Amino acid sequence: MASSLEPIVVLSLVVGVIAAVIFAGVLVALIVFTVRYRDVRAGSAPQIHGHRALEIAWTGVPLLLLAIIFVLSLVTLGQIGQGATFGSLEPPLHVDVIGHQWWFEFRYAGGAVTANELHVPVGVPIELDLSSADVIHDLWVPELGAKSDVVPGQRNVMRLFTARAGTFSGECAEFCGLEHAWMRVLVVAEPRADFDRWLAAQGAPASGAAGRGLEIVGSAVCSSCHVVQGQVAGTPIGPDLTHVGSRTIIAGGVLANTADALRAWIADPQRYKPGALMPKVPLSSADLDAVVAYLRSLK
Amino acid sequence: MTATALVRRPGAFATAGVLRTVDHKDIGIMYVLLGIAFLAIGGLEALLLRVQLATPGEQVLDPSTYDQLFTMHGITMIFLVAIPMLIGFANYVVPLQIGAEDVAFPRLNALSFWLTLFGGVLLYLSFVAGGAPDAGWFAYAPLTEPAHAVGTGMDWYIFGLAVSGAGSIIGAINLAVTILLMRCPGMVMGRAPMFTWMVLITSILIIGAYPMLTSALVMLLVDRQLGGRFFDPAGGGNATLWQHLFWSFGHPEVYIVVLPAFGMISEIVPVFSGKPLFGYRFVAASGIAIGFLSFGVWAHHMFAVGLGDAENAFFSGTSMLIAVPTGVKIFNWLATMWRGRIRLAMPMVFAIGFIATFVIGGLTGVSLAVVPIDLYTTDSYYVVGHLHYVLFGGTMMAVFAGLYYWFPKVTGRLLGHGLGLVHFWFTLIGLTLAFLPMHLLGIEGMPRRVWTYPPGMGWDWPNLVSTIGSFLIAAGAIALAANVWRSLRAGERAGDDPWDAFTLEWSTPSPPPSQNFDTIPRVRGPRPLWDRKNPDRMDPQ
Amino acid sequence: MSAQADAIGFTRDRNLVGIALFIGSESLFFLAVVIAFVVFREQGLATAKAQLDVGRTALFSLLLFASSGTMGLAAARRSRLWLGLTALLGAAFLAGQGLEYARLLGAGLRPGSELFGTTFFTLTGLHAVHVLVGLVLLATLFAASSARPRRVGQTAWEGIAMYWHFVDAVWVVVFSVVYIGTVLG
Repeated sequence: MASSLEPIVVLSLVVGVIAAVIFAGVLVALIVFTVRYRDVRAGSAPQIHGHRALEIAWTGVPLLLLAIIFVLSLVTLGQIGQGATFGSLEPPLHVDVIGHQWWFEFRYAGGAVTANELHVPVGVPIELDLSSADVIHDLWVPELGAKSDVVPGQRNVMRLFTARAGTFSGECAEFCGLEHAWMRVLVVAEPRADFDRWLAAQGAPASGAAGRGLEIVGSAVCSSCHVVQGQVAGTPIGPDLTHVGSRTIIAGGVLANTADALRAWIADPQRYKPGALMPKVPLSSADLDAVVAYLRSLK
Repeated sequence: MTATALVRRPGAFATAGVLRTVDHKDIGIMYVLLGIAFLAIGGLEALLLRVQLATPGEQVLDPSTYDQLFTMHGITMIFLVAIPMLIGFANYVVPLQIGAEDVAFPRLNALSFWLTLFGGVLLYLSFVAGGAPDAGWFAYAPLTEPAHAVGTGMDWYIFGLAVSGAGSIIGAINLAVTILLMRCPGMVMGRAPMFTWMVLITSILIIGAYPMLTSALVMLLVDRQLGGRFFDPAGGGNATLWQHLFWSFGHPEVYIVVLPAFGMISEIVPVFSGKPLFGYRFVAASGIAIGFLSFGVWAHHMFAVGLGDAENAFFSGTSMLIAVPTGVKIFNWLATMWRGRIRLAMPMVFAIGFIATFVIGGLTGVSLAVVPIDLYTTDSYYVVGHLHYVLFGGTMMAVFAGLYYWFPKVTGRLLGHGLGLVHFWFTLIGLTLAFLPMHLLGIEGMPRRVWTYPPGMGWDWPNLVSTIGSFLIAAGAIALAANVWRSLRAGERAGDDPWDAFTLEWSTPSPPPSQNFDTIPRVRGPRPLWDRKNPDRMDPQ
Repeated sequence: MSAQADAIGFTRDRNLVGIALFIGSESLFFLAVVIAFVVFREQGLATAKAQLDVGRTALFSLLLFASSGTMGLAAARRSRLWLGLTALLGAAFLAGQGLEYARLLGAGLRPGSELFGTTFFTLTGLHAVHVLVGLVLLATLFAASSARPRRVGQTAWEGIAMYWHFVDAVWVVVFSVVYIGTVLG
């Protein structure tokens, strides 16, 4: 199987073709009857009240079609649902996903914690264990198929899979407040060896440069919401920053992870994501540069 | 007749004036006017949303305003447009169709209108009193709980919906009792007009479904104002409980707004085909089947919530089942046209358009009943496309058809055909451009309820096309308004029966006198006027 | 106008059917709130066992159940005596609820204190509101039938009786689910 999207595409094509045929039939009948039976005079048409056999037939045939589709849907569910293997012999990789307003947190076995970006190995079923820290969210990576709600007080499990490497765009798909639109993620699928290397690096404690940047990030200004494992013991309210320098996007995807964007974000988050829970951070220009340099060193 | 003819004509508001009238015809007109007023407001809200979404990264609206607008757009269109317009038509037409003088409880009827209006006013007061509700029309918890909701918008939501909902329940009880007990002699249910049938079923649905909404609103109020924990997981409550309760109301609600539409089409297509409705019994039975089944499908809105495979399979099954009685009506209408004598007056033009657009909405609905497909498409623009096809391409198109059909009965004048065609084509092309691309957007991965979207996703041009379509719909509505204005002043006068129709309302003057009938008629078949006009070819007993 | 004379024969049925439909609607409303209570029942069981006074509430419930009997007699005989008795029994039930509420609130149980507080007060509170409305209806009927006894149709007696039986039936369910359910749980 190429990905967990594939069985859905196959089923959609079957249903789509049946629907298209029905629609075409109705449209043709509509047009033909309108044109063929058009008449300005009323009252001279044959007074046909019904035809029981015909009506039974056009009730029964759709029922039959739907029964077939229903069975096919159960088959598809088996291919993508709980415990699906997607034709792979590899044991599934577990990742805990926590939804926050408005970003996704990913926690791997072994202690690696990241945000906005989910790395997965190709050819391995990914088992996502989803829960929410606040309201109902939904994780959806369209190119990988189905979505699942992320519900507070409940653990949902969803399996995704891809056989090919690539970067897939994902998003929150349940209205969750002001910045629901900017709760996006990137899913990076890479060969097993690359993934293992990435995971190992993510699991290591931070190795950021010491200096003014670390000093500020370690202060209450940042550590009241952020953690840098091994360097800043903060309160994990916002995303874990231990390896923030290695990420491609920040702030739920509203900005790319460049020096300029990072600087602009920290200076005034509300400007880019109004309503975001990160307040405006009052830093001098020099301090801002130092913080950005430090964060970018957290590879 | 002048433009104010509608409110000064003999009979209308003549005895008591708008504030004190209890005549079902007056109240029907008031309901429809209420619906039209809110249609303009809800439509304006839609246009603003579409302007914001026309291009990626647009900043015409900030997220808070956007969220209030999309929420109020949904609430307005369903509770303050669709429901009042359909109840308005039912109020005006049903007593006439069944040969009654008025509805069962005329004073309660007036009360139900004023409650509906008051509920709408409460909802809109929110804009100037702390902000409108902003959690979507179905307002999922715990986003609406005190811990997460900002401002008082959701309290206005609770009271606005509770009050207008009470109006709807009372109105439904009125219509149900009227139809059950006030049919004229000879009119057993098997001879009742199909619009009356559908209104009866709809009324029962309202009586059964609205209390589910009320219960959810009460519980939300307890959570928000008394510190309750019904829907707050942090306090031991359950977030999905809200969804179960809401959709137990919400799904029957969509049939509430579509069954009367089906009823209108079932009146219009036979008349303008010159034939009886093909399969009257099956059509009535399918309405009853839809009524029952509509209470058993609600969790198809929740396939992604994580209920479990067995639950999902059950609701998938019932949802596919309900597609059958819905779909066969289309075959019945087509068979009615077959070998008919089709007259393309405006009611029929819109009825034909309705069939084409509703079948699209119905088919995408079936696709959404298929769980794996739904897990991809739910909460994406595919659903937004689907719901607008059934609610606009369905209910609204039928309401337009009904408007052209019954306008002459209410006002004594016909709406113009030329402007009518302008209205029709702008509407059909507009809705196609506005809503068809939304299916593509959903397939391409665009989620719903986003105030903006990133460029480079392939979502740009479909959004722009959709915005253009929305403005074409607005243009069509302006054509309709112009048509109404002109027709009231100088439209062609209609007699009692301008369409050569079949049912009792066409045996009264246009407009009817206050007591409707000088003598209560007696009927012997489902098409009393056809029988009268064609004594040699009466319907079989 | 002559058509209206024919319609008078239907009047009685119309009102009762209307009230029956309304009762159907309210029944579903209560069903939803009962379901919510049941969904959370297990979580609240400990508090329920500790706080609820099943015996005393059962006694006051008997008063409400008796009032259905007196209401039936009142409607059959159009008797203001039995009607007054019904109202007294209903008021006594409400007073009992009031005492129960006072005790529980004093012990710290509130809609916002814990989940059981939320579900208990909502369910029983909504019922109490319906009883209150019923008392208002009884009072109105009493006053109207005092002033002009013949003008008050049988349908009014029967319709209000239907509502009162409904309020009683809801309490049968609520008492069973909340109180008996707690004892058995």
